[in-house]
Parts: sequence; structure tokens; C-alpha cells
Amino acid sequence: MSILVIAEHDNKELKPGLANTVAAATQLGADVHVLVAGSDCAAVAAAAGKIAGVTKVLIADAPQYAAPLAENMAALVVTLADKYTHILAAASVQGKNFMPRMAALLDVSQISDISAIVSADTFVRPIYAGSVLATVQSQDRIKVITVRITGFDPAGAAAAAAPTEAVAAVADSGLSEFKGNELTKSSRPELIGARVIVSGGRGMGSGENFKLLEALADKLGAAVGASRAAVDSGFVPNDYQVGQTGKIVAPELYIAVGISGAIQHLAGMKDSKVIVAINKDAEAPIFAIANYWLVDDLFKVVPELTSAL
Amino acid sequence: MSTYRAPLRDMRFVIEELVGLQDISALPGCAAVTSDLVSAVFGEASKFASQVLAPLNRVGDEQGAQLIEGEVRTPPGFKQAYEQFVAGGWNGLSGEACYGGQGLPNLVAMPVQEMWNSANLAFCLCPMLTSGVMDALTLTGTPEQRATYLPRLTAGEWTGTMNLTEPQAGSDLSAVRTRAVRESGQYRIHGTKIFITWGEHDLARNIVHLVLARTPDAPQGVKGISLFLVPKFLVAADGALGARNDVHCLSLEHKLGIHASPTCVLAYGEHEGAIGYLVGEESRGLEYMFIMMNQARLAVGLEGVALAERAYQQARAYAQTRVQGRAIGQTSEERVAIIRHPDVKRMLASMKAHTEAMRALAYSAAAALDKSRRHPDDGERKRNQALVDFLIPIVKGWCTECGVEVASTGVQVHGGRGYIEDTGAAQLLRDARITTIYEGTTGIQAADLVGRKLARERGATAHALIGEMRSLLPQLAGCANAAVAVAHAALAQAIEDLSAATRWVVDTQSSDPAAVAAVSVPFLRLWGVAAGGWLMARAALIADVRLNADVEPEFYAAKIATARYYAEHILPQSSLLAKIVVGGAQSVLAFSEQQF
Amino acid sequence: MKVLVAVKRVVDPNIKVRIKADGSGVDLANVKMAINPFCEIAVEQAIRMKEAGTVSEIVVVSIGLPQCQETLRTALAMGADRGILVETDVEVQPLAVAKVLKAIIAKENPALVIVGKQAVDDDCNQSGQMLAALLGWPQAAFISKIEVAGDHADITREVDGGLEKLAIKLPAVVTTDLRLNEPRYVTLPNIMKAKKKPIEVIKADTLGIDIAPRLKTLKVEEPPKRGAGVKLADVAELVNKLKNEAKVI
Repeated sequence: MSILVIAEHDNKELKPGLANTVAAATQLGADVHVLVAGSDCAAVAAAAGKIAGVTKVLIADAPQYAAPLAENMAALVVTLADKYTHILAAASVQGKNFMPRMAALLDVSQISDISAIVSADTFVRPIYAGSVLATVQSQDRIKVITVRITGFDPAGAAAAAAPTEAVAAVADSGLSEFKGNELTKSSRPELIGARVIVSGGRGMGSGENFKLLEALADKLGAAVGASRAAVDSGFVPNDYQVGQTGKIVAPELYIAVGISGAIQHLAGMKDSKVIVAINKDAEAPIFAIANYWLVDDLFKVVPELTSAL
Repeated sequence: MSTYRAPLRDMRFVIEELVGLQDISALPGCAAVTSDLVSAVFGEASKFASQVLAPLNRVGDEQGAQLIEGEVRTPPGFKQAYEQFVAGGWNGLSGEACYGGQGLPNLVAMPVQEMWNSANLAFCLCPMLTSGVMDALTLTGTPEQRATYLPRLTAGEWTGTMNLTEPQAGSDLSAVRTRAVRESGQYRIHGTKIFITWGEHDLARNIVHLVLARTPDAPQGVKGISLFLVPKFLVAADGALGARNDVHCLSLEHKLGIHASPTCVLAYGEHEGAIGYLVGEESRGLEYMFIMMNQARLAVGLEGVALAERAYQQARAYAQTRVQGRAIGQTSEERVAIIRHPDVKRMLASMKAHTEAMRALAYSAAAALDKSRRHPDDGERKRNQALVDFLIPIVKGWCTECGVEVASTGVQVHGGRGYIEDTGAAQLLRDARITTIYEGTTGIQAADLVGRKLARERGATAHALIGEMRSLLPQLAGCANAAVAVAHAALAQAIEDLSAATRWVVDTQSSDPAAVAAVSVPFLRLWGVAAGGWLMARAALIADVRLNADVEPEFYAAKIATARYYAEHILPQSSLLAKIVVGGAQSVLAFSEQQF
Repeated sequence: MKVLVAVKRVVDPNIKVRIKADGSGVDLANVKMAINPFCEIAVEQAIRMKEAGTVSEIVVVSIGLPQCQETLRTALAMGADRGILVETDVEVQPLAVAKVLKAIIAKENPALVIVGKQAVDDDCNQSGQMLAALLGWPQAAFISKIEVAGDHADITREVDGGLEKLAIKLPAVVTTDLRLNEPRYVTLPNIMKAKKKPIEVIKADTLGIDIAPRLKTLKVEEPPKRGAGVKLADVAELVNKLKNEAKVI
């Protein structure tokens, strides 16, 4: 039996995370297939075939997959499911959207956001905003899993590309219609997968002041993130949010600026390799998990740091 | 500053298990007051306390209220918080239903007020004073006054103040000089009042001042004082606001604590005279004030509980995280959180035990107050009235004195950091310091206890209460729990001490009132210590039963541990205090003034 | 239009949970519970839609112990009209939640179901999507805006790169994200009124649904602690540490 991994992409490029999810899949079995469902997505399928461990790439190429609507994605995967012991996707917004729908159609539970694999039916997943790790065992015939990609190092490049196979599309559900999106434009790396992240909190005081962080990020080739408080205050868009219910990141270097360190924020970044915190409040809880910290005014320290690099 | 979390579990324990919510639910008009309703009310109130009021406590302290061109500006955020408070209907917590209030009994209202006081004492004084004015008008206002003012005060649309003190008339109100001149159906008020809490502010559209003043032909002394209602803006019959009345804020006091609460000097009648309306009958002003003061004193006693709780939470959080030194007897190099050090533990235990005992006493008084007002049986009403009258000076005096001590211990737990303003521990001590002073100093409370409350009825209520305490002893003796046995021994001794000291006071009051006065504060303290010990012992008994049934072992084991600490560290003070009461008066009186 | 909102009772998110000594689970004894924050947003959304005249009735459903009535009362005090408690002492996992809600929906026939995107205890983020699947209804997960227009709803969803717009047919299931609204504080008069609103209690085992858990928790533990860090004096020291000690820049 084989493992199926669902790829996430924009019909041109793979989103970061597939290599990590494939790495997780290879811990469960040797025969790992990747499904690329999209529209005019041959280039994406080719890229997916070049990840080490992938043995076959399935392509469902049809207009109804131009946008990955949950109704269509779930219906498609269900037609393939019986051939697989495990179905995996990254625990991204897209994975979280269609995977539970698909699991319910199969009458199986989903194991959300696993951070480690113990055995073919036993997994570790964080609960309570990451303050507790639960080891859970699935009793279902097919294990539907979303993967916390920070828990798995990405698989490398394959020596030879895996073969591809076209699979039949399922007719459009007609239940929902994609009307477009408003994506935040940035020349900086995406938060997910970034090597360095500079994040700002309520202490930034305004959206305008995030320019200080952007200047620092540009020096470091870093992505810019934010705490929920900064997003709720309207300083930056929602997709900047790092935390329990936002993005989960684990870069090599995470610089938290003006972030006090609510547990919900820590949940999204505490697995970063090196954490630097800059806050003028000597009691800020963020210091408890930081490798290095400065108790000082961020408006003084951040420009100093930018020019020192 | 640590985050304030209302001690909901202990509050529910005291209300439901120790004092008895079911007795209050059984009172007429209280059928809706069930456990689930209480839980819902407490849940929302605690959220409001933690999320809205507590975050403003620091800014209130740092920036304080300011007087700018005759107008008082409250610190940033206070106006919005007050608007939320009013929109939430919280001002009508215990107000009468016919004026838009929820009519909740004191036993339910008090924990809610405790949460708010813990979160932000300075803020809470405003609704507390409003509530006092509501009580006064309910008791003594004309039907027109009630109809015009009570719905708006209950909603919190308008706020209230109490105007008693004048520069020459502090604890001695007979020296009040403010004049009220009759003028066709109303009065013109002239004079200066000081220490008027929330006397002027920008939170509400109108302020209703209750003012003690003398009518021209009134007799001298306490008998000649009447009570007047003076609105900041005159009010038409339909409630519309009219002209600005001739009452103005001259200055704000610079205080040790509660900086966000504007303490005003109010000038009445600097121009044409402030228009005032008589409340009740002429010359009965002080009598009315004393009726209200009972409730106000209970409320201030509760402030002591609230600040003690807040200080305890702050100290506990600090002790849990502050790493300093090694544990005694430890061989490794590891540094430990200071909560591991026995002396820090002792301080935290002292804070916790005092706070829980004070809470139990204050809520017990609240339940007695409810029964005194609502019980269908006249005898029960009278008995509870006597009990609450007796308990009020003890709650006010003891809980505020302990509140200051607990807040001070809280600073001590922090070491040097506590003396620096950063942690918030120092603010709690500064804020707490007023509570032993306003609404009657501890000395006044003690005088009230030995004079008005004890001697007047030859100690009948006191001895009845001692009898009730004594009746607990056989139950304690029959309990197998070792900690309860400790509580039994300590309480038995305390009852003897209390009984002897009370007899001495009753016997001596008529022959040598000065001697009694000289030791009245230690006597009040003795009552607090012993009554607290009695309630903690009862709590331990209840906890023992629950523990045997394996219900919430963590909470009940902690309750028993706290009761045991109280029995071993606090209750033994009764012997010392009784000794001071019975034998210590003459050394005070023997001092000549020149010897100071 | 009738709206059904599901609410979950969870440990107050402000409280740091403790693990039972035997590692079998999280210690819930004597812990303050609250309505799940995302469910609170769902209730708030339904109320705002009712205030705007789009919604005529709000039914709130909770599944679990009798104490979930408190959570329903919170929703009723916020402004929901009536409550249904599906009572069970079984650990109800997302698939079972979806099945129970489907059975309730068969009786209630709402035009819209609003649920929170995830519960902050198990952090599963599944129930709404599963419910939509079982009903064969469209779904819009993680919404930050919803406008009902006739037989469909215009939706804005929060996605990884920003926002996405959808049009979904009704009836549908939507799940709430943080920015959908800011829930109101419950007022005291409404708490008092909520006491009089009806709550229907249905025993879960009368629904004839298999709600047994599919996932078995073998153990729970604390995540590894990070080593103690150091407070630095200035930017120069920080740059030096990052370059020479951590070697990340």
C-alpha cells in the first residue's frame, strides 16, 4: 500500500512545505505518491517529481482545480483514497480547509498538525497552543493527516524524476465559486519556509513603524511577521500573523521586536533555532524563551542593528 | 504587574458552601439567584475586571486625575471603561428593579465588587459613591426625587457623591458649618467641602451631591445638620439637564494612592448660592448618613479584602518566577524560584490565609445584611440587623488594617524590586493605605464597636456570636483530620480570650470609658482574628468532608492547609490581644501629653 | 433566516494547563472553563446578522457534559435565542461533533451554520469542514467577512497569502477567523434574561449515532524546554553573538 501526499501550488510553483510533507510520508512507507490538482499545472507536477522519495506524481488537470476549492479537492481525493493507507497534506490554510472535508467523506478522523511520527498509526501533535504534546493513535483504516512542516526537515532532490500519471477529474461541485483574492505583495520571502524572520508586536505602535523592521529584514533577507496584537491593531495584514491560529514557523533566526510573548504567539515560533527578543519591558514573557535579549527601546535598537549588519 | 484573575473558586466556596447561597435564594425576591446564575454573573464580571478595569490601574496611578480650568480630566481610558461599565448594566447590580436595577442580593454583589476593587480601586470608588447616594434616596427621598434621580443613578448615567467633611469637621461632624438657606421650596447652599471623592469628573453627564449643611435656625452640634441633594446641573421635572449649579471644584488633593480617583475641594455657593433640595426631614441629616454609612463601611472593608487578594496574586506570581539562591539543604548548584524558600512561603501563606479569612467574614456580613432586609420573619430580620451592625466595624476595621499589612508583605516578597514602582506591588500598598482612614478611621470603627454596638446592648449580640462559635467546637473535636484538630485547639483558646475580653469591655465601658477607648482597636482586632479563625475552621471542616469524598482534592487540600496556617500563626494572636485589652489600658492613659 | 451556531466549552485560554501526574491527559479539575474564543466570534456574528435584519432566529448547540449549559447560557446572554445541549460524557472528537450536528440540523433546518475555526484545547480545526461534507453543503472556512445576498453568501476568507473571496450557495457552513468581529461584553441585564431562555437537553445516545472516539490519546507531555538565554548589553554584543556563537548571520 502507498502513501498519498497532496501538493499545494499556484499552478506555476509549488508552495513551500511539500518537501517536508514528503519527508514525513517517507517515514510511513516507501511508496509515496504526490497529487497535483490544478489547471495547466504540468510544470508544478514536474517539480513535485523531483523531490527525493516521491515515486509517482498524479496529475488532475482541469479548470475546476484552478483554485483549490475545498468541495472539489475533497471530492477528487476521495476517488483515489482507497489505494492508500495514509493521505497527507501540509497543515497550511489550504490543507486545513479541504482535508477534514475529505476525511469526513471517508468516515475517518483526521490527525491534525502532527509534529512527529511514532509509528504508522501513532503520531505526536501539539495541543493547547503547543503547551502540551499529545501522542495519539488512530483506529481508522485510512489515516488522514495534516503535517506541521516545521517538525520535518525537507526531503532533498531526487536523482531521477518520478513518473507522472493523469487521474480523472471530478465534475465541479457547483456549491461554491472562487471570486478572486487579495494577496499581500512582497518582495521578501514568505513566512513559511523563511530562514530568518523579523516579527513586530503591539510595541511597534503603528503600521508605519513596521518600515523599521522591513529595513532590518531586507538586510537579513528575512520575512516579516507579526503578533496577533499587531494584526488586530491593523498595523499589518492578517497573513503576517504568527501564532497558535496563524502561521507556525521555525526559522533559523527569529527576531521578536516589541512582542511581549503571549502563549498564543509563542505557540507559533518557539521551535525557531535562535530567538532574539527586543523589548523595553524587562518582565516580558518572551525573554523566557529567547536565546538573546535586549531590554531597550526598539526605536533605538532596531535602526542600530540594521546599520550594524 | 501580574494579570489579575478573580479568585472565582474561593468566592464560590465562601458563598455556596461556607455562608450558604441557598439561604439567600430562599429569601423573597431572590428565587432567581441560583448557583448557575451566580456563576454566569461572576464569569462576566471577572472578564470585565481582568480585561477592562485592571489594565487601567497602572495608567491611573501614573497619570492621575487632573484639574484643568475647573474641569477634572480622568486618566486615559477611564471614560471609555466607565461607558462600557454602564453599557454592561453593572452599575445596577444591586439597585432596585423598579429603577432599572437587577436587585441582586449583597452576597452576590459583594464578590463582584471585590473583583472590580482588586482590578482598579480608584475607578470603583465612583460607582461605590453612586450606590451610597442611591441608598440614601431610596430610604429618605421624596417620591419625586426618587423618580427623577434613581433611574439615572441606577443606570450610571449620573454619578453620586457624599459631602461630609469640611476643613474643621473631619471625624467630628458636629462641627459642620456649611449653610443652607430656605428659599421657596428649595435651599441655597454655601460652604466648602473637602475630600469629596469623585466630586467632579468627566465620566458622566451629571453629578448628584449629597451635602450635610446647617439650616439657619438649627440647633448647634449634631442635631442641627440636614441632608441636601445638590445636582451639578439642575434637573427639570422630565429629567432634562438645565443650568450649571453653583458648585465648583477648587482643587484636587495630591494623595499617597488612588491617584485616578479625583479627591475634590468643592465650593458651594461662591456666587448666587448652590440650589439644594432637602432630603428627608430637616435636622436628621446625620442619622441618614449613618444608615448609609453602614453599607459604605462594609464596602470599604471589602476593599481591604480586594487589595489583599491582588497583592497576594502579585507576590505569588513574582515568587514563582524570581530565581534567587539555592534551596535549604540542596547540594546542587541549581538556583531556585524564591517560592521554595521557607520564609517566602511563610509570607505567602500569611497573605493567603488573611485574605481568605477576611473574605469569609465580609461575605458573612453581606449575607446577614441581606437577611436583615429581606427575611420574611421579623425576628430573623432584627437578629440579622443586630449581627450586621455588630460585624460592620469589625469588617471595616480588621479587613482594611489587614489589607494594608498584606499589601506591605506583598512588597516584602518582592525584596528591593517591591520598593520600586515597576512591579505594581508598591501601588497596592499606597492604594490600600486610605482604606483604614476613609468612611471612619480604624479608631472610629473601634469606638463604634465598643460604644454603639457593644455597650448599648450589654454585649448581647457579641455573646450570641461567641456562643455560635463555641457550638462549632464539638464538631471540630469529632473530626479525624490532624489539621482540623489544630484548628480546634486554637479556636477553643481564642473563644476563651474573646469571651474574657468582651466581658471586660462590657463591664468597664460604663465605669471607665476612657480605659475601654484606649484598647478598643486591639479589641476590634481580637474580634477580627477570632471570627476569621472561626470561619477558617468551619471551612476546614467542609473541606475535610469534600476531601473524604475525593472531590476537587487540590482545592480542598489547600483550604485545609490554609486553615491550619491560620490556626498556628494568626489565631494565637488572640491571647496576646486579649491580654492587651484587659491589662493594657492604664499604660496608655498614664502618659501625660508632655511625655510625647 | 435561521442560523445555527455550535459552541464548545474549553479551558479558559488565559490559563496555563497542567498535565496529570500519570501523563494520561490534561488536568481539568478545578480549572476555569470558558466559551471557545472562535465560537464566541461565531455567536457574535450571528447576533450582528440578526441585528442587521438578515437573521430571524439563532439556535446555539453544545455537545458534552451538563456543564456545557453554562457555555450555552453565555451565548444566550450574548443574544442567541435558544439552546440545545447534546449531553454526553464521551470525549467527542470532531467527526462525532459533525455527525451530532448533522442530526440536529436535520430537525432545525437552518440556512446557515456558523462555527469557530478551531477549539483552543485540541487545536483540531476540523468540525465545520466535516459537517459541511456530511451535509453535502458548501463550506467557507476561516472567514473574515460574510454578506448574505439572497440564495448565496459573499465571503472573504483569510488564507496564507492574504485574503480570498468566494461566493457560496446557501445553506452552507462557515467557520470563523479572528478578524470577523470582536465579540461584545455580555451585559448584566442580558445575563438575567438569558436565564429565562430555553435550553433543550438531548441525550446523545438517543440520536443513534456512533460518537466513540477514533483517536486514542496514549500520553501527553510537556514540550522540551528551551535552554536559558542571556540578556545582552547592546547591539554590538548581539551582532557578535549572532555571528560568532549562534552562527546564524
